[in-house]
Amino acid sequence: MKRRRRLWQIFGPLIVAAVAITMIMVLPISFKQANSKTVEKAATSLSANVLKGESLKDQAMSSSGNYVPFIGSSELSRMDPFHPSILAKKYHRDYQPLLLGAPGTQSLTHFFSVNGMSASLRNKKAVVIISPQWFVRKGVQPNMFSFYYSPLQTTTFLEHAKNNAMDRYAAKRLLQMPSGTSDSIIHQALLQVAVGLPLTNFQKFYIQDIKGNALKTQDDVFSRLFLKDRERYIQKGLKHLPSKYNFTELDDLAGQLGAGETGSNPFEVKDSFYSRRIEPLEPKLKGSQRHFNYQYGPEYSDFQLLLNKFSQLHMDVLFVIPPVNYRWAEYTGLPQKTLRNFDRKITYQLRSQGFNNIDDMTNDDKEDYFMQDTIHLGWRGWLDLDQEVKPFLETTKAAPQNYQIKQHFYTKAWQKTPAKAVPNMVKTAD
Amino acid sequence: MINLQPYENPMYFGYLLIGLLPIIIGMLYEKRFRWYETLFSFCFLVLIFDGPKLGQGIALIGYTIFEVLLTWGYVRYRTRPKGANKTSIFVLAVILSIAPLVVVKFTPLFDPQHPSIFGFLGISYLTFKVVGMIMETRDGMIKEFNILKFLQFLLFFPTISSGPIDRYRRFIKDYDRVPTKEKYLELLEKGVHYVMIGFLYKFILGYFFGTLLLPNIEKIALINGHSNVLGLSWSLVGVMYAYSMYLFFDFAGYSLFAVGISYIMGIQTPINFNKPFASWNIKEFWNRWHMTLSFWFRDYIYMRFVFFMIKHKVLKSRIAIANLGYVVLFLIMGIWHGETWYYIVYGLFHATVMILTDAWLRFKKKHPDLLPSNRFTKVMSVVLTFHVVCFSFLIFSGFLDKLWFGFR
Repeated sequence: MKRRRRLWQIFGPLIVAAVAITMIMVLPISFKQANSKTVEKAATSLSANVLKGESLKDQAMSSSGNYVPFIGSSELSRMDPFHPSILAKKYHRDYQPLLLGAPGTQSLTHFFSVNGMSASLRNKKAVVIISPQWFVRKGVQPNMFSFYYSPLQTTTFLEHAKNNAMDRYAAKRLLQMPSGTSDSIIHQALLQVAVGLPLTNFQKFYIQDIKGNALKTQDDVFSRLFLKDRERYIQKGLKHLPSKYNFTELDDLAGQLGAGETGSNPFEVKDSFYSRRIEPLEPKLKGSQRHFNYQYGPEYSDFQLLLNKFSQLHMDVLFVIPPVNYRWAEYTGLPQKTLRNFDRKITYQLRSQGFNNIDDMTNDDKEDYFMQDTIHLGWRGWLDLDQEVKPFLETTKAAPQNYQIKQHFYTKAWQKTPAKAVPNMVKTAD
Repeated sequence: MINLQPYENPMYFGYLLIGLLPIIIGMLYEKRFRWYETLFSFCFLVLIFDGPKLGQGIALIGYTIFEVLLTWGYVRYRTRPKGANKTSIFVLAVILSIAPLVVVKFTPLFDPQHPSIFGFLGISYLTFKVVGMIMETRDGMIKEFNILKFLQFLLFFPTISSGPIDRYRRFIKDYDRVPTKEKYLELLEKGVHYVMIGFLYKFILGYFFGTLLLPNIEKIALINGHSNVLGLSWSLVGVMYAYSMYLFFDFAGYSLFAVGISYIMGIQTPINFNKPFASWNIKEFWNRWHMTLSFWFRDYIYMRFVFFMIKHKVLKSRIAIANLGYVVLFLIMGIWHGETWYYIVYGLFHATVMILTDAWLRFKKKHPDLLPSNRFTKVMSVVLTFHVVCFSFLIFSGFLDKLWFGFR
């Protein structure tokens, strides 16, 4: 029949393509695991698809490579020879950092990412680098959050969501972002979780079997394809380092390297950063941060999500509070009080719940070549961090912890509490 | 409540396919289920204008009633036995028909925060169709008013949001007819093909240029140009190319969807793009870029304007009339895009290039031996036209506004 043949000519290729795509995306086919080289590349790539995915992170955490998540933001991309990934490799440590973070990732993104890795993080250790700059009054910018938004991690979150303060708050926050309303069924499910209602059977089916499956498959297939390769920086860094680890010797070397790359400006900021990011705007930036304030806003509760999750997974976590380059802060007028207030409030939130493992570097702000630029650790700063990381990661299994999670940190009242209203738990001689 | 924006996500195409099936099957047996087509169109209009867009939906209903009454009234007036055809009534009808659009377009000037409550997705394109009808009624080409056909034409949902702009008589010819089986198979094949090319254009190439590439280049251009005169930098050239590619693939992709779905419904909506970047001069470009819009402006603004000027002997020189016509046409097109300096400059820029092109063509005609016509000159003219067009799109993009005035 002529008509039938014509119809097949028109629609045949479409039907074949549609069936093939559906098979690949929806059916729970497991794909070959990425090889260890790919996982290694992923661990230092800082690519958004690693952070947004689950497959590569899970493979890293369950492999014999002893990966430890290093959770942070833009500082992770400052790969000079003293970067944690390079030190670990050079000195054959028993761990390898799994770098999670990129410019613009904040607590909320990390919560969904860590939540997606739940199974493989239980009883493990992690390092979290907290940026004071996250804690602006309005919290994470919605479009920045969207950039790192992971539909897959949202389905994982919804599959396991319970009627507790953590999940209700997380759902509420997601609903405030444009990402949370992009799929109408997910949107509805989030609304229910936010008020403590369970999902309907249809929602469960859609989120777990349809959307979740398709996203998992896409993650399996595509995440490993577009990884940024930072091997170049790592190899370069490895060459600079002496074969024996000696702190004084390394500290001198870090100082020398820092001095050699910061000659162009009075801020001890890396030359390339200075000429690209500061010089064109320099006069405008003078005094521009006089009114900055890091002690209020939703980021404190978003951060509480992370703490709550760590506690739930019985993890042992080292928290790092990096300083701000003093010379730069002087120029921009960023008040020391702003940083002290932030330090006091976040330290209270940590210590009062039993998170006592804190590397507070706030007072190292005047050290030479400690920062690679304005707010990002570099050379001597990385090495200084290593003095905490090295003993902490002698073993990668967490000892039993005693955390007391308090719901109060999810409230508006806490977000609005000034630092001076809480006890000062900052240890000065830490 | 499900709300769908036309051709935005896979769901829309999914529902579309389900809704189209009975039409396809009917057409394969040489039957048009008109009641079903109407119901199907109605459902999609509801899906587009419900939920959060309900305000727009109500505006659409109000607008439709207004334009039905107006067009009905004017057709009745023109078909009276005595043959009434006063210019003043015609002008009044045109003014009334574009009045809602003018109100909607000028509201942002007075209240930039809130879009007009009379506005809805596609108001421009519906207005173009109505104005076209009134003009053709004036010319005596349309002699009867059938409300059902008028609504089918006006609210034809595949093209409702952004065209292509069809003409009433062409549309009704297709609508009244049922294509033969062979003819329909041809249309179906073309329709499916157009939709697939549309996917490639809008969701792969348009996404690549517009979502992945453009924001990054824009960021670099803002940083690089900061300390330079007028913010100039090589990255700005990158912004120009990336935006031009995005604009083409996004809109051409959308247009292909609209044309493809129309074909599947047995309506041969005119195409909107015909390899515009292969044009050898700007006049050719406007015959190939957003064709239904530029033909509409040509037929209903430029030609009318030129005839008026000649008939009333306002200007003697034909050349001056043509040039003034270009200015009028492109200025209106610029203002229609929005009341910002860059849309208006974009319009004036094109008017200027058109005038210069005409002058150049006259000059070349007088001096035929000036330039040889060979492959090299042809390629050069295409490259030159492409760059002139891309430059105009850089103006159109509004990026210069961000670059020059964004920081203040």
